[in-house]
Amino acid sequence: MTLNPRRWLRAVFDALEALCSRTFTAPWNPLLQLGSLGWFFYWVVAASGIYLYVFFDTGITRAYDSVEAITHGQAWAGGVLRSLHRYASDGLVAVVLIHLLHEFALDRIHGKRWFAWITGLPLLGLVYVSGITGYWLVWDAAAQYVAVTTGELLDVLPLFGEPISRNFVNEVSLSSRFFTLMAFMHIAAPLLLLLFMWIHIHRHAAARVLPARGLGILVVGSLLALAIVVPAVSQVRANLDIVPAVVGLDWFYLGAYPLVQKWGGVGVWELLGGTLLLLGLLPWFPRRPTPPVAEVNLLNCNGCGRCVADCPFGALSLEPRSDWQKYAGEAVVNADRCVSCGICVGSCPTATPFRSALQFTAGIELPQLRLVAMREQLKESCAALAGHDRLVVFRCEHAGSMDPELRRNAAVQQLPCIGMLPPSFIDFVLSRHLADGIVIAGCAENACFHRFGQRWTEERIAGQRDPWLRARVPRERVALSWVSDLGAFRGGLAALPPVSRADKGVAMPAARFALRHWPLPLRAACMALVLGGLGGATGVLATRPAWHQLGQQQAVIRLSIRHATAPKVACKPLTPQELAELKPNMRREVGCPRERWPLYVELERNGEILYRGTHPPSGLWNDGTATVFESFRVPAGPQQLVVRMRDSGREQGFDEMQSGTVDLKPEQNFVIEFHSNQGFSWR
Amino acid sequence: MKGPDNGAQSVSLIEWRDEFSIGLPDVDHEHREMISMINALHQSLGSDADAGRIVAALGEIHARIALHFALEEREMQKLDYIAYLDHKQDHERLLDDILDIMDTAEAKTGYDPVNFGRRLSKWFTEHFRTHDARLHRWLVGRN
Repeated sequence: MTLNPRRWLRAVFDALEALCSRTFTAPWNPLLQLGSLGWFFYWVVAASGIYLYVFFDTGITRAYDSVEAITHGQAWAGGVLRSLHRYASDGLVAVVLIHLLHEFALDRIHGKRWFAWITGLPLLGLVYVSGITGYWLVWDAAAQYVAVTTGELLDVLPLFGEPISRNFVNEVSLSSRFFTLMAFMHIAAPLLLLLFMWIHIHRHAAARVLPARGLGILVVGSLLALAIVVPAVSQVRANLDIVPAVVGLDWFYLGAYPLVQKWGGVGVWELLGGTLLLLGLLPWFPRRPTPPVAEVNLLNCNGCGRCVADCPFGALSLEPRSDWQKYAGEAVVNADRCVSCGICVGSCPTATPFRSALQFTAGIELPQLRLVAMREQLKESCAALAGHDRLVVFRCEHAGSMDPELRRNAAVQQLPCIGMLPPSFIDFVLSRHLADGIVIAGCAENACFHRFGQRWTEERIAGQRDPWLRARVPRERVALSWVSDLGAFRGGLAALPPVSRADKGVAMPAARFALRHWPLPLRAACMALVLGGLGGATGVLATRPAWHQLGQQQAVIRLSIRHATAPKVACKPLTPQELAELKPNMRREVGCPRERWPLYVELERNGEILYRGTHPPSGLWNDGTATVFESFRVPAGPQQLVVRMRDSGREQGFDEMQSGTVDLKPEQNFVIEFHSNQGFSWR
Repeated sequence: MKGPDNGAQSVSLIEWRDEFSIGLPDVDHEHREMISMINALHQSLGSDADAGRIVAALGEIHARIALHFALEEREMQKLDYIAYLDHKQDHERLLDDILDIMDTAEAKTGYDPVNFGRRLSKWFTEHFRTHDARLHRWLVGRN
């Protein structure tokens, strides 16, 4: 057996989905509405965030104080909403990641369905940016860790003129305006996220953006319970003079941050970039043939619009008539969106096997599975069946394994989606006595691969959606199977009275076979267990396990220098000839070439070189400042430090130097800076 | 099989009658088109058609009527027609009747085109007189 991760993942999801359907019931099954749960969490976060924003104050000290006031000063309003804000954000990350895995496992990413997958990828980034900027705003120890580490991560990208980490070397370097910027980003990123969420579902007709009401209530209840049991609180106030050794991390958002320390920023970006690239290529690898799209036959189309209404992917539209017929519109297929599910065929009023004996074409058909061929094939297969339990099985090609019992004395017709089956085929098989019973076997309940095939089929049979299954078709001979076990249905067929042509029935649903729920007390207990477990895990992972960024007896030395080195060529008076060569507006008496020397820095600790490096000046003409920003974790305690710098063209020796003994306390953030008028300074 | 023996099928299965008209020119035009198409289909059978051909032709007629109803129903749904469901039930009744007649022909227990024509005419007259007229009145009242 080949190792196919997708198949394994699918098996895991199938098992979990079945468990959740037994526990929550299929309509409330959270695994079948991960996308809409994501939307739901988004709205909870947005609503709670708007409230928090009213009381939030930007500023180095005011930010922390205002969050403390929200948390403790109005514990039952702001405190609870802050917790909701945090835990719903964590829930958002969790469902987004599971949603991604789920769609991959179910293979809903290939062919024309690439769009939702690809437009989903920027959502990942935006969710993280939204969350991370939020953590920043609190300005506690975790925020400080996030700020410094994000700085390190961003500084390896060629985005900024000078390292943004230098903003966080000490309290002096930090500006209150910075919090205004962060608050702006924390609002802008979610708004952008919303735009991308809208694009993400753009190709889904009637996209579901809210979970089942019951599930929504359960989720909010769980969040509230979590908010009360484990309220979200700030850690100690940020203090840039120290580097907190132990930080509580929200692992949903900051799970990759410890890697920055382990691998460096470049390694983390390589991991993220590689993962994104791999995800982005998945819809096209391995390459698969694309099935032909649905075709409209204008002689059989009067623009009734049923296919347009039923298409789950918005691939059909009604357009002005292009032929001689006097109808207003005709159905038109958008080949870029059509996934060849055939749901449109199942909706067409002319897709009926009762038509001409030899040839007929419905208003819309799939070229690879013509209805007339399907009818002839069915007639032929049914002729070989005998007895009183002859079955016709219409089976979705995405359905799980098939009960071997269903293969006995049965004609099996495979369809790209169960929604492709025109109800008249059921009528045809039974009224022409081709078989004694019909089984319509699709994906698991509420888990239709093509979104609406299952629902439309149930509604068509129950006379709630066009085209209706004829009322008089005996529903006890029709089974809708969202599970494989149908022994009882088959066993009962032989005992039924023969199909009578004279019966006048009423439209009603067919026998329905789905996973049985467990009894209510057991379900309630399991739901409590699942939600409690998930809530508990969220509460724990939101701060624990704590990350030890520094040993208990360690301190950090940071080298933070921004310095304009000496020009490479000294200024000199220009000769009249040189002056004449310059344009009149650029003529001046002294010529100063702009290029500067690179900056060479050495840091020595206890007689050993801790760092040495050459830093070029910035700017296109190498005329800007050279910047050094390096951090070193060192044991605390007294140590001899020497810092030396060469900022001129000399080949040996140094232009600036400072040495001395310093006593570093555990967690101390010891910063070495250089100012051209004062020389080196450290503290 | 009980069936035509004297060229009865050369006459129309169903004749357009003035009382079919509901006064909406477009809809009336569509109705007239449909009836002439039904007649053309039926006439193409000839007098010596076997059960298979009769059922096939009736199947086409059924599909054509279903298609027409689908369009009409869409218009009614778009307008939020108050008696939509009643109207649709009557459509379904005719479609069921045609399938019943096809079953009878298929089972070779008999197909009588005159009787079929009469049933169709009766249904159309009744449907135009009641449901379509009601729709017409509702449309006029709405405008």
